[in-house]
Amino acid sequence: MSTLAAPPTQPARTAPPWVPNRGAADAITLKGVSKSYRAVQAVRDLSLAVRRGETTALLGPNGAGKSTTIGMILGLLEPSGGTISVLGTSPAAAVAAGRVGAMLQDGGMMSGVRVAELLRMLAALYPNPMSVEHVCGLCQLQGLEQRRVDRLSGGQTQKLRLAVSLVGNPDLLILDEPTAGMDVEARRRFWAAMNTEAARGRTILFSTHYLEEADANSDRIVVLANGRVVADGTPEGIKESVGLRAIRFTAPHAASLDLSTLPAVKTSSLRGDRIEIRSTDTDAVLRAVIRQWPGARDFEITGIALEDAFIALTEPGAAAPSIDHIGDS
Amino acid sequence: MTSYLSLELRRSLRDKRYVLITVAWPVAAYLLFSTVFGAAANRAEGLLPVVEIMVAMAAFGAMGGVLLASGPRIAYDRQTGWLRQLSLTPLSKPRILGVRLLTAISLSVPAVMVTFATAALVKGVSLDAWQWAAMAGVLVTGCIPFAVIGLIAGSVSDGDSSQGLTMVVYLLLASLGGLWMPVALLPGPMQTVAHVLPSNHLAQLGWSIARGQVPAAGDVLVLFAWFAGAAAIAWLASRQLSKRA
Repeated sequence: MSTLAAPPTQPARTAPPWVPNRGAADAITLKGVSKSYRAVQAVRDLSLAVRRGETTALLGPNGAGKSTTIGMILGLLEPSGGTISVLGTSPAAAVAAGRVGAMLQDGGMMSGVRVAELLRMLAALYPNPMSVEHVCGLCQLQGLEQRRVDRLSGGQTQKLRLAVSLVGNPDLLILDEPTAGMDVEARRRFWAAMNTEAARGRTILFSTHYLEEADANSDRIVVLANGRVVADGTPEGIKESVGLRAIRFTAPHAASLDLSTLPAVKTSSLRGDRIEIRSTDTDAVLRAVIRQWPGARDFEITGIALEDAFIALTEPGAAAPSIDHIGDS
Repeated sequence: MTSYLSLELRRSLRDKRYVLITVAWPVAAYLLFSTVFGAAANRAEGLLPVVEIMVAMAAFGAMGGVLLASGPRIAYDRQTGWLRQLSLTPLSKPRILGVRLLTAISLSVPAVMVTFATAALVKGVSLDAWQWAAMAGVLVTGCIPFAVIGLIAGSVSDGDSSQGLTMVVYLLLASLGGLWMPVALLPGPMQTVAHVLPSNHLAQLGWSIARGQVPAAGDVLVLFAWFAGAAAIAWLASRQLSKRA
């Protein structure tokens, strides 16, 4: 009945043919991973496979476990249980080999040095780095190369943080809420640069709490809530699974109607004699309602905002499609 | 790793306030003390005051350069998240730590050089070439325990408080270790304290060479004991830190 709650374990997928198979097919594999801080269970039995060359969004509200998951994938945190493999090896080994680039939420920059100095120093640490000139162009840092790192504006610092994560030319790029604090224009440019990198075959995993951002910039969305995967699929699939449109109508004796005969219903709710149905195919619902209950009237069809869809996924108890009898006597 | 070391060094030497504290202070103190107490009759450590104070101030500056370069900077970089970001590069944690310690130890060099040059040029201190070289060598290598002590101060405090904490440790080690006045002038119990502190034994290494002697094994031993003890504490403190993270 439910298309929402994804099974806890993803079936093993094979990499698409256009992704060069270097070692393991998956860039990241988490198996039954959990992490708790004393009494707080931040991540619970998380299993996830990110394929090479894929751009995956880790979507969830604050406190869903996104940063903890990313911290464990980067080897900054030890999982309390389960196993993690990154690029066919351990997180620490993948990082030590210079194959992972990361932009952390709380990752600071080296103060007292110039932008180009910092990037040149970092480039020298990697086996196959980008040139400083190239990475500055990519991250719109031209003209700022000689600026002191501690004298950059907030937006410029964010560009530098991206450059720092990219300069090592990593196979896997991990971005923890990369656009936090960016204005609309900076956000647009950021994603333009990211989509170019993704097109070059880089595997990207990013976290966000905006469904629009995940929708527009990823091949796949993994929705986390309370440390669990609550949905996993293509952006289209995720939107479809919550039902992107709502149809409302009034019918006599609404509470006694059997809504299960209607097609493509995701959720429905009742307030007095007024019924609201969320559906992926409101047209079909409309036809069926008119056919079955000629007395139905006052039809209204509206789109559901992405944010509503997101809330439907991540709010406790809201995930399973259900018929709520509100105000029913 | 060499690229990181060279950038850390440039970064430190660019910090004008830091260079002022660790170089200008010992030089100014040297000029003041050696002028006020410069009469040849005031011999301490078997040396003329201009030489005895020169070694004391060079040790004072070297120690400050090292302490202030290790503790507060590491605490600051941890607070801003730079150490976290750096740990995501291929540079391993032991190498990062090694670079920070090497940087800190290197930053004893400017104070030693400038203090020696001031003594030679302004106060006419004249020693054999081997003595200058050996004194510089022992004062710089003798600073290794202070780099580790600074590391502890940087691990137990955050970016804001580490500056103050390190300064307190610095001034206590300098004053109680007999760098500001000869140990012989301190009251009895404080003389005992002075002989336990690494700051005193650092200066002793230099004073021995200035007298034309080989440094005593006891001085080296005390400094090594401080290094070993501080390294053990730093190791425990870093384990504690990684547990909390």
